[in-house]
Amino acid sequence: MSDGRTIAPQRPELITEGPPPARPRWLEMAMSSDHKEVAALYIGGALSFLVLGIVGFLLIRLQLAIPQNNLIEPVTFNRLLSVSSATLIALFALPLAFGLYTYVVPLQIGARSLAFPRLASLAVWLFLFGGGLLYVSFVYTPPETGFNNWPPLSDTVFTASNGPDVWITAVGLAVLGFVLQAINLAVTIAKLRAPGLAWRRLPAFAFSGAVTSWTMIVAGSAMLAALTMLEIDRHFSGVFFDSGGGGAPIYYQHLSWIFFTGCYLIFLLPAIGAISEILPVFSGKPLLSRGALMASTAAIMPLGLLAWMQNMDSASIPAGFLYFAMLMALLLVIPLGAIFVNWLGTIAGGVLRMRAPMVFALSAVSLLSFGLVGELIQSVIPVNWLLASTTASTAATGYVLVGGSVLGGFAALYYWYPKMTGRTMGEGLARQSALLIWVGAQLTFIPLWLAGLRGQQVDIFKYFQAGDAINAMHLDALNLIATIGAFVLALGVVLSLVNAYRGLRHGTPAGHDPWGGETLEWFATSPPPPHNFDVVPDVRSAEPLRDIREAIRRRERSSPEPAKATEPVA
Amino acid sequence: MLGFLSPPSAHSPNADDLNTLYWVMLVIGLVLLVAINGALVALVLRFRSERGRQPRRLVVKRPAQIGTAAGFAVIALVAFVLGIVETDNAKTVSASGPDGLQSAAFTTAQRTLGLPGASPSSGPLVIRACGQQWLWRYEYPDGTYSYDQLVVPVDTAVVLHLCSTDVVHRWWVPGLSGKFDATPGESNQTWFRADETGVYDGASYAFSGASYAVMRTEVRVVDVPTYQAWLQQQSQGIQQAQAFVQQVNGES
Repeated sequence: MSDGRTIAPQRPELITEGPPPARPRWLEMAMSSDHKEVAALYIGGALSFLVLGIVGFLLIRLQLAIPQNNLIEPVTFNRLLSVSSATLIALFALPLAFGLYTYVVPLQIGARSLAFPRLASLAVWLFLFGGGLLYVSFVYTPPETGFNNWPPLSDTVFTASNGPDVWITAVGLAVLGFVLQAINLAVTIAKLRAPGLAWRRLPAFAFSGAVTSWTMIVAGSAMLAALTMLEIDRHFSGVFFDSGGGGAPIYYQHLSWIFFTGCYLIFLLPAIGAISEILPVFSGKPLLSRGALMASTAAIMPLGLLAWMQNMDSASIPAGFLYFAMLMALLLVIPLGAIFVNWLGTIAGGVLRMRAPMVFALSAVSLLSFGLVGELIQSVIPVNWLLASTTASTAATGYVLVGGSVLGGFAALYYWYPKMTGRTMGEGLARQSALLIWVGAQLTFIPLWLAGLRGQQVDIFKYFQAGDAINAMHLDALNLIATIGAFVLALGVVLSLVNAYRGLRHGTPAGHDPWGGETLEWFATSPPPPHNFDVVPDVRSAEPLRDIREAIRRRERSSPEPAKATEPVA
Repeated sequence: MLGFLSPPSAHSPNADDLNTLYWVMLVIGLVLLVAINGALVALVLRFRSERGRQPRRLVVKRPAQIGTAAGFAVIALVAFVLGIVETDNAKTVSASGPDGLQSAAFTTAQRTLGLPGASPSSGPLVIRACGQQWLWRYEYPDGTYSYDQLVVPVDTAVVLHLCSTDVVHRWWVPGLSGKFDATPGESNQTWFRADETGVYDGASYAFSGASYAVMRTEVRVVDVPTYQAWLQQQSQGIQQAQAFVQQVNGES
């Protein structure tokens, strides 16, 4: 104890500064700049917005369950559509990713805090404030101009209400927060790694955090520029996107697609990182090839972002640019294929413990394969002319959102939940939840793919059952099955949220290292103290905790008196 | 079984190119999908935890890694080359067939440039398709126009010049072509050559506001005499309507 090298339950530095003023817990959390408290706000906020987004999409699916349904007014439908898609992308997927990184990355790299702790607090409140604004707008004028708020439709000439302003402000504030936090994480990972923790030894999740941060810095900045220009167009007589005044609507399309392509990558990257942590731990053997996995993760960012024009094949863009975007999109098959081979090679020959994080990770691998194959099919320009802006492309993106952000994000939550709370979530509920999400996603997205193939549009408030050859192909049955599937999917999500809520009070106490992890976060207590580590160990390999366990075992063998299990080897 | 997975049947050469490539990509995709998920299920069943077994580490050598990457690179490059070839094919306007309108280009040239007696050719019929909230307006070479329904002769190459007077629209009639944007201030075009008479349903595919879902369109493909008769009738109808409006305005 006296040498200060053991993990002490006390907090000596707080005592030297005198006792902190007593504040209510919620106020303490709201004002905290501790990365773990900030992350709790991120994750809690993201999961709350997930519930709201799911309610929105269930209403949308109910309206589309039968042909020419009149359940929801067209204007209400467009508002639900605009708000719910912004919610799932900007208020669920992105903050969940940044919340997980904000919590786990400093622990994984042996840092005592983020590089800019106050900036993290600002970033999370920008996100929460933006999200709150979007939903408060239902009291006055919610946005109604679709998921990407395109001009000229979002210009004052065609939408005089303040709906687009709400969308611009809400998404703008949230994205500003994400860009700031991305800078924070990128600097943290670059500068605050423990001694000996070289880039090549970085845990897969922390590395994917760096790649995600770089992606967000590029994609988010493009969106902030686009939103600023759109607001100037709307209220300060700008002509950036006005074809009559020397601008062009297509500029906004480019900028917003850079952003949405970045978001798509952020559905993917955190899941790739988390799955690459979970599979080795629960297979009892390291990744097939760390080098290949990390190179592939890094390659996704430039290739993915450079493929943004792949979403614009129908626009009047010179063929050369479209060919370039198609090449970038197709080349993504190399890193993504390598990642799948790596995952399969990791579980091959292992001894698989089918605990909750593993079940979620394996289901995520399966759903991601569906989504990415769907995307591969659409990457080719002529096929995109066929499938773009139909429900088939929604289905491909939906698979990646559900496989990546939902299943992958939940896998990460199940994995690090014991670290965050000191307790594990229930295994039974976890299995049922994973199964329902997987089945629900298939029931939703396979019919949507087929309906899209038959020409059903995205974003329509009703579809028609006309008598011609195309619509005769069971459009009504397909939509009905998709609606049922959406409810199954939602039930699965709710089960995991219930599990997480129950686990706070009733979960099994987990200890510091419940899964036998190999990375530094399992070296801290569960939950970790505000300063994370009393002693930061020297890192000698990519699996520092394995080294520490082996050192303890060696010491036990050599000394007659057994060492304490918690004693670190610095 | 396979019909269930197939796109709308093609009634134009370029739609045929689209469908061909869809099938190629679908087969590649399904092979990958079955391989990944099959391997996943097999490995999980095979390597579930048992007592007393130790994990066995696989060793991958550099050649195996490069081979894997090369395998995926081949898929990407094959798809890329096919993509370029079929894009080019689908964009090339082919000549009108024997049953089509033979003098389309001649008519257009005569009307717009006033050329007397230019030789008839099998050039395309050029029609302007303008999207506006929430309908499509079609303008024919002789100045006639129609809303929502496009009437074209069978077996004739029809080039659509897409334009928009308000927000972004996207024109697509499944089976006849791919999707193309009508963006204000930009020029864009697509084409088709319908091989069968009949009515083809289509719609706008870019979100355009409140009544987006009802912004539908249809292409009525008829034989050449019917087309010419329709054109004349439509033109007369428009003239009568204009005369009526002038009469009403003159009286007021």
